[in-house]
Amino acid sequence: MLELKDFRVSVGGAEIIKGVNLIAPSGEVHAIMGPNGSGKSTLSYALAGREGYEASGVAKLDGQDLLALAPEERAHKGLFLSFQYPVELAGVPALTFLKAAFNAQRKGRGEKEMAAPEFLKLVRSKAEALKMPQEMLKRGLNAGFSGGEKKRMEALQLSLFQPKLAILDETDSGLDIDALKIVADAVNATRAPDRTMLVITHYQRLLDFIKPDRVHVLARGRIAASGGPELALELERSGYDRYLEAA
Amino acid sequence: MSLALPSRRDEAWKYSDLARALSGHDLSSVAPARGGSVIASMARAFAEEERVLTIASRDGVHAVEHSLSHEARGAVTRIHVPALQAGMVVETIYGHLNLAAGLSEIRIEEGGALTRIVIQQDAQKAVSAEEIAQVALNEARVSVAAGGTFRQFVIAEGAKLARIETHVALDGEGGEVELNGVYMVREGRHADLTSTVTHQAANARTKQLIKGVARKGGRGVFQGRIVVPRGAQGTDARQYHRAILLEDGAEIDAKPELEIYADDVSCAHGNAIGALDADQLFYARARGIPEAEARALLIEAFLIEAIPEDLPQRDDLITRVQRWLQT
Repeated sequence: MLELKDFRVSVGGAEIIKGVNLIAPSGEVHAIMGPNGSGKSTLSYALAGREGYEASGVAKLDGQDLLALAPEERAHKGLFLSFQYPVELAGVPALTFLKAAFNAQRKGRGEKEMAAPEFLKLVRSKAEALKMPQEMLKRGLNAGFSGGEKKRMEALQLSLFQPKLAILDETDSGLDIDALKIVADAVNATRAPDRTMLVITHYQRLLDFIKPDRVHVLARGRIAASGGPELALELERSGYDRYLEAA
Repeated sequence: MSLALPSRRDEAWKYSDLARALSGHDLSSVAPARGGSVIASMARAFAEEERVLTIASRDGVHAVEHSLSHEARGAVTRIHVPALQAGMVVETIYGHLNLAAGLSEIRIEEGGALTRIVIQQDAQKAVSAEEIAQVALNEARVSVAAGGTFRQFVIAEGAKLARIETHVALDGEGGEVELNGVYMVREGRHADLTSTVTHQAANARTKQLIKGVARKGGRGVFQGRIVVPRGAQGTDARQYHRAILLEDGAEIDAKPELEIYADDVSCAHGNAIGALDADQLFYARARGIPEAEARALLIEAFLIEAIPEDLPQRDDLITRVQRWLQT
């Protein structure tokens, strides 16, 4: 469960997130929708612990305070951020990176690291489900990948790490409809009773494929409205203007 | 006449003050070699004999690897690659001497190929910045005849002053040169990779990729010059230097120079010195990799890009990079 209470984030002295209150229970998928500049990416970066994002208030994952932790420690506690723009690491083979991250998380939780052959088997089966060619795992992580391939690599990590909180930041950007379906299938397959998902998006389109339990509208750094899936459809019809004026 | 040591006032030694690094050394026995550089003069004065190495391919096909270690104060080696022969030389410069000068004179004849790997090691024992006394100098003069190939890879950990100079003359048409390298310097270390390539003939190619990192109190220097005279039409030359300042108080100086007098050529160069990419670092940490480990992973990836994929010693060289990162 993710719990935010009077959650505020400043970047370079300017307050972007201005007191967000939100409870997203385990097992649920919550969508956070908002226009450009509403603070969606700031919210996800701050939750993941990015430097330069000064957060205050309360942010708890399953009762554990996130704000005191370094980014890697948040990952060990089960936080996963799927990046809007995943970085390219040309000299690091994807497989090397995945194994380093997977075992660092295990180590951080006091668990035993997984041996190479076992890990390889696990990755291969996950990659297959995402229709990713094995060859992609040997190349540098995301190096020269298309937008769709990068998002698939993010989805692979989501299904590999099995986080308690998955934040999907604009997962649909840069995807054509076929790639979107594959990534959405992967996300849907990772829905679980002990997992919270936060789907951050500008457009309703993604929510045709990933059905949210709750929808929140973020406008000018605040939650302007919350409701069921019907709220997303209403936004698609009438746009964000109403909420921007009210905010 | 004794040897005049270059200082920062000499353009070629602007970033590496040899006179200062060698103050206190008695060099009265070193006579300036005729037409030779300061490194050549020292190598000749200190060397007890001249080594001669003739490269012959095994079965006429496979490159034979030769090891040359610079364990004496001076070493002069003549390497001859006859026409259509191919070979490999690995030169190791150890860190136990206070002053070592090496000179390699390399002649590659038509269609011959030589791969040269230079490994310049820091002192074996951990030596503090104040204690480090080693001055390691190395110079290679290479001539490449038509259709010949010279590939070089240098890995330098630096010393009080370490300078690896390479001067290549592409004398025949269609010659190929690759001059890659990596330098990595910690506190008190100075590594200088200096090179010139002169395209005397047409349709020759030069590729150069140098990557470096410096920690606090370490200094890296790259000086690379490619000269394309009027007659060298069809030249293809690419030179890139990329470096990362790992901490405040690190220094990297670069002087890339491309001098082109011919008009039908394809040349490019680039030089970039910056910090470790913050986006990459955050991405790795957000996936659970602790900061120190994430930094090492990224630096390793950055550096090893300069090690050609098909180099037989690639794995050993990567291990050297990893070892440096771990200490």
